[in-house]
Amino acid sequence: MQQAHRLTSGIDGLDQILAGGFISGASYIIQGQPGAGKTILSNQIAFAHIAGGGRVLYVTLLSESHERLFQTMDPLAFFDRSQLGAAITYISVFQTLRDEGLDAVVKMLRKETKRQDATLLVFDGLLNARDRADTDFDVKTFVAEVQGQAAFVGCTVLFLTSSSVTDLNPEHTMVDGVIDLTDTLAGVRTVRELQVRKSRGSRALGGLHKFEISDEGITVYPRIESLPARVEASVRVESKLSIGVPGLDAMLGGGLPEGSITLLAGPSGSGKTTLGIHFLSQASDAEPALHFGFFETPDRLRTKAAALGIRLADQEGRVLTIERMPLADNILDKLAHKLLDQVRSLGIKRLFIDGFGGFERAAVHRPRLIEFFACLMDQLRAEGVTTLATWEIRELVGSDVAAPAREISAILDNMILLRLFEEDNQLIRSVSIQKMRDSHFDTSVHAVDFAPNGLMLGGALSARQVPPHPQR
Amino acid sequence: MAHILVVDDEFLLAMMLTDILEDEGYEVDTVSNGEAALAAVRKRRPDLVVTDFMMPMMTGLEFAEAVRADAALANLPIILVSGAQGNIARERPELFQAVFDKPYRNSAILKAIATYVATDTE
Repeated sequence: MQQAHRLTSGIDGLDQILAGGFISGASYIIQGQPGAGKTILSNQIAFAHIAGGGRVLYVTLLSESHERLFQTMDPLAFFDRSQLGAAITYISVFQTLRDEGLDAVVKMLRKETKRQDATLLVFDGLLNARDRADTDFDVKTFVAEVQGQAAFVGCTVLFLTSSSVTDLNPEHTMVDGVIDLTDTLAGVRTVRELQVRKSRGSRALGGLHKFEISDEGITVYPRIESLPARVEASVRVESKLSIGVPGLDAMLGGGLPEGSITLLAGPSGSGKTTLGIHFLSQASDAEPALHFGFFETPDRLRTKAAALGIRLADQEGRVLTIERMPLADNILDKLAHKLLDQVRSLGIKRLFIDGFGGFERAAVHRPRLIEFFACLMDQLRAEGVTTLATWEIRELVGSDVAAPAREISAILDNMILLRLFEEDNQLIRSVSIQKMRDSHFDTSVHAVDFAPNGLMLGGALSARQVPPHPQR
Repeated sequence: MAHILVVDDEFLLAMMLTDILEDEGYEVDTVSNGEAALAAVRKRRPDLVVTDFMMPMMTGLEFAEAVRADAALANLPIILVSGAQGNIARERPELFQAVFDKPYRNSAILKAIATYVATDTE
């Protein structure tokens, strides 16, 4: 089967969603309310196209002045004023439309596309064209004619329109693809989303994908659940990574199984971050580590490690990377992509996520969380990285600890539970292994003490001392 | 009453310039591309042309070149206004009496128009 020649958008996430980019010579509608990002998107695609040697004709009807548009785009990284009038030409055909009608516009576009040798045509104002048309048929004819003559010379077309998403517009049937941009309010924050509603001749990634607009222009984060499934990295079954606390390695049947994902659950103060620091302290050139957290800054983490007496690798160098995402208006897929990109580019073997709650808080659409975590886990398993992730449990001190969400437990490979409880007016910390896939483990509950070099496993706690195990 | 031809594919900008020129007492016609402008000046020669650069069919630069190449029109005063190509136009002083960058101050362009229109009608 012959692969279609592609016109890449220059935006990685979007090219991924479009299965390689736009199809050269095809026509697309980009629709969205004013402010949704159509103009920036189409210009960014245009300038990426120019950078690759293409030539662009950008046609407006009645919009902001071209100069105002240029001023808006000056701060954006992709915009290059020196290309204006050279590889990219901006013209308005409003007068022609008003005085002579749609047919004259079609003719002018054909002539001008040829005159400029354009390989990409952006037409901003399909809605206006519809106002001028006498019937729906005229608009379909207009789109068909522009599309046809552009395809004839191998020119790709982007029609920009403000028409509403729910309208059934006749022009939608003519084009090869429709991309929808939305900018909505979720609670108190805004969410920008992109959806490919139609994609003829190409298998686009479906559903809503997040994007953001910054000085870099538009960055698109494909929805993690929509990414193609990947094969789990093959690891030797017996291969184990030390968690950094000897007695605990023994409880785990030797250590954390390589490539597995372990949930470390416990209330605040139970020692989750401390255990994570132990795990990170075992990093080496052969096993580079990444701390991906939402709470401690790199400095605070190092201070804590120093106070505990645990040695962490130096600031410079690849052995240990500490990445902290503030708990703000985060985009769930952006967090996931950032994590996966770092794991891949740094060749991470030991990953400490502190904690899953940071991802959970970023979710705008909560029902997707189970599938999100499942897919994120699959992506991590494909990288063969051994992951330890924390999960905070509500009850601070107590016997009856509610297990994390049932469904999430089912996705993870292993679970370690840290608990705090009082006995004889003393605070006792304990650790137990709740679950291990594919490995024997010690089912007893042990005390955990703080020693000069960090955590130390204490004796097994008797049945009398230990509160009943939480329900699975 | 001096006659001015305004050439710009951007309708709103052409209208705004027309308004301020008419307020000053000029008679104004507008066309939306270089090719139409060439036809217009051949049909009825204005006292001055104010033209945009980036336009379909024929750019402001190509229009000025065609005018200068035509013996009958060669000394027609032309002022160029441009968003992005001002510098290209300034490299061709023989084509334009003046070059303005968008956005321009209305008072500045009116002064230039008054200067070059006056020169022509002597």
